[in-house]
Amino acid sequence: MAARRLGGSSWQQVVSLSRRCCLPGGRRERYRCSSSSTALGKTVDNSEVTQEEIVLPRRKTWGKLAVLQTLASTVNKDPTAAHYMFQDDPFLMPRNAANSRLFSLSKESGRNAAKYIIKQFPQYFDKTFAEPNIPCLMPETFTPQIEGVSEEALKERIHLRRVKDSVDLFDQLVQAGTTVSLETTNSLLDLLCFYGDGESTPEKEKEEEDLEEPGVNASEQKAPKRQFQRGSQSSGSRWRENNNAERIFKIMPERNAHSYCTMIRGMVKHGASAKAYDMYIDLLNERHKADVHTFNALITAVPYLKERFLERWELAKVFLNHMAQQEVQPNLLTFNALLKTLRRCGGVGRSMSLLAIKEMEALDIEPSLATYDHLLFIFYRGADLCPSGIISEVLDDVEKRSFTPQDPDDANFFGTAMQVCCDLKDIKLAYQLNKAMEKGDNWKFLDMDRLNAYWSKFFSLLCMMEQIDVVLKWYKEMSPSHFYPTPKNILDLLQALDAANHLEAIPSVWEDMKQLGFNRRQDLLQELLSLMSREQHPEEIQLAFAKCAEDIKAVYEQSVREQALLEWTGSALGHVALLFSRAGRTQDAWNMMERFQQINRIPTDQVMEEFLNCAKQTNCPDEAIKLVKLAAALGLPSSQRLKSRTEKEFELSEKQKKTLESIKSDSDSSDSDSDSDSDRE
Amino acid sequence: MGDIGDSGRGAHGWRRPRGHPVWGLQQRWLRSGDSGQGVTGRGGCRRGVPGGRCPRGARGTRQGQPPPLSLTPVTSQAVPRVRPGPDATRHLHTTPACLKVSPGGAPPPPPPPPVGCPPPLMPLSPQTRAARVRVGKGDKPVTYEKAHAPHYIAHRKGWLSLHTGNLDGEPGAAERAVEDAFLRRFLYGTFPGVLADEPVLKRRANLLVVCAVLARGLAPAKLYFLLGYAETLLARFYKCPVRLELQTLPAKVPYKYL
Repeated sequence: MAARRLGGSSWQQVVSLSRRCCLPGGRRERYRCSSSSTALGKTVDNSEVTQEEIVLPRRKTWGKLAVLQTLASTVNKDPTAAHYMFQDDPFLMPRNAANSRLFSLSKESGRNAAKYIIKQFPQYFDKTFAEPNIPCLMPETFTPQIEGVSEEALKERIHLRRVKDSVDLFDQLVQAGTTVSLETTNSLLDLLCFYGDGESTPEKEKEEEDLEEPGVNASEQKAPKRQFQRGSQSSGSRWRENNNAERIFKIMPERNAHSYCTMIRGMVKHGASAKAYDMYIDLLNERHKADVHTFNALITAVPYLKERFLERWELAKVFLNHMAQQEVQPNLLTFNALLKTLRRCGGVGRSMSLLAIKEMEALDIEPSLATYDHLLFIFYRGADLCPSGIISEVLDDVEKRSFTPQDPDDANFFGTAMQVCCDLKDIKLAYQLNKAMEKGDNWKFLDMDRLNAYWSKFFSLLCMMEQIDVVLKWYKEMSPSHFYPTPKNILDLLQALDAANHLEAIPSVWEDMKQLGFNRRQDLLQELLSLMSREQHPEEIQLAFAKCAEDIKAVYEQSVREQALLEWTGSALGHVALLFSRAGRTQDAWNMMERFQQINRIPTDQVMEEFLNCAKQTNCPDEAIKLVKLAAALGLPSSQRLKSRTEKEFELSEKQKKTLESIKSDSDSSDSDSDSDSDRE
Repeated sequence: MGDIGDSGRGAHGWRRPRGHPVWGLQQRWLRSGDSGQGVTGRGGCRRGVPGGRCPRGARGTRQGQPPPLSLTPVTSQAVPRVRPGPDATRHLHTTPACLKVSPGGAPPPPPPPPVGCPPPLMPLSPQTRAARVRVGKGDKPVTYEKAHAPHYIAHRKGWLSLHTGNLDGEPGAAERAVEDAFLRRFLYGTFPGVLADEPVLKRRANLLVVCAVLARGLAPAKLYFLLGYAETLLARFYKCPVRLELQTLPAKVPYKYL
């Protein structure tokens, strides 16, 4: 009885263990009869009928909390898993940032393809058999129901956001002579100004942005700067002269404040800032009052209206005074727009931004992340940096709250903040920022690209500032679940390993590099090779390095179809030869030496000395002689020295001695300065 | 349970035994003293053969007065490999195909069940062709799923579609079957040539989980495209959340070659 009980309990443990870790056969589950549990218990019985000695394991006692602790260990983030949106399969898991972006975008484009199909054939998807009905899974009706030329039809088309159809219908109505009511005209103007006279479905892509390669070297600051220099706004279509909105505005029999405001906002959104200002003057002349959104738009447009910093600030102040006169209450977006303008006001901005923050506090408006983002930019990313303690105050504020998105610029905060921490080289601030990010909902502000950039910068900072064991711990935890290391991260990691004298981790870094797809980058390969070959290391490390060198050699030599063949450089070749020599692989080292002539480079003295040492250790005098021949052929000044060394250190047969004698060194006769450009990189 | 002894009189007066179906049958078997035929005995025969007499003969009834019932539980008897669970009716795979008769002449005697397989409750006719891959020259690779005939379900195979529609009192079994048929065709067409095995469909409350095993014939980006497409389209079609869980293999895994 006791034996059976033990057998039963140990089987239970086996089952629970195998359920916790992945079964090697994959995760596809098949249905199992529930009665099989009892049946297996019985087969355990049957197996114990055998005659041999049964060793009973000691009964395991589990603490009271063991189950809870086990369960708790499963809910932490799995550091080896990719993001939740990817399938948990080695073929389908992305290995680097480019792949993760590609896979997530292809999944999204698959969804868009499905939505297109549903839009084309709504009749197959509109049966309502779900109880209760789920409206988001039903096809949306995009075709207007009301036909004919009437105001109702116009209202419906406006509601469905069919820009061209509404404009045509409006024109038909006007030609037919029917008066269209003010509200309908205003809503038509709203539609036109929102879409800037383009269609609601974006057919053409935005050409001016997204110019960087995805993921790897992204920096959010570059894109807006480039656009500002071109003096154009970034939201898609441009405001054309005398487009539909303006035309309709002109032929309107009566206009109210809403019409003017809509036009101003549309013009600012699509880049016609001067026109927006003129429209605002018209509005004032008509003695209308603008609303808060219009003022926000006008403040945003200030940098395009004036050039000099002080003028910009003065114009912004004018708008704010008008707001006060017209008794329009400012909101969060007003102040954010103001700070955004002050970003481009240089030194004036620095002094005035603090006043703006004080106003916000006086009006009891909670700052959002965009506010802090603008502040950090003003104080830390301008041209001339003067030290200030703003960042710690900002971080103290951000740490306490969990933010909700209120401004489109909120998403930039964490990236800017981390950049500032890196510039200030302050790791404690970075840890504080991490804590702020993990509080409440704040992590939601980072999408995939921004997340990658954020962690990438954090890792660079870590490599600079922290001890190597902390760095390695973070590295293991963070990749590939949090971020994919960029080439710069790998370089930083190598430098950190170098600084900490921890070079034996280099082969594992090489494995990661291969997985990330960086194994064809010249700069990384050079760095790797030079670090490996700089000093002599103990035996097994040297062997590991030689294996790495062999991999790298394969990389150089294999020609992948899409990519060009990597060219050997003199230093790379020298390093590889050195590593082979140190590991005692004479034949491989000699293959390397032969390539020097092919690429028209000359091996350094160190390489040749090491090769000779290797040949001596492995007792290959032939190789030594070949080396001397090579040196003589290349006309190196050291060939004489090599020759004498070979004669002294090797046991040469008669034939070999004669061959050695016959090698005439050319450098005695010819000039050596033109030949000796050994590539020391 | 005493009434069970009243075994079928008349032409084919088989009466469903009262009490627990399995127990009832077992009792009958026990009482008839038959030992080599499995649980079926005569009791499992549910369908009458036109012509009056069951070709196999009513062995049990020919004997004399039935011995007294022994109320020992079934497990302690020398019982075949059927395991009576709490509700073991799902283990009874009574295949009506047992009595397939070719138009001319008497049917051949049933072949002995293969070794290792629980003896079918109804012996299988050799004319059954359902879901069986016929033996060929030996060059046709066949997956585990296809290599096993349907009577191995719940013995060596699992189910490919899991839902509660077939439980007692639950509605919607037919609708699930139709949905399954559509889903399998849809997946076969959406993942052209890369489906390595039949997809498994699992329904948990409202959620439909499709577990598919794919070969690595397409680039991962393309597989993700098809994944997003299939999930969205099926969710909108069936008005329920649909999740696709994919697993890739280097190639289709053959179990044997037929």
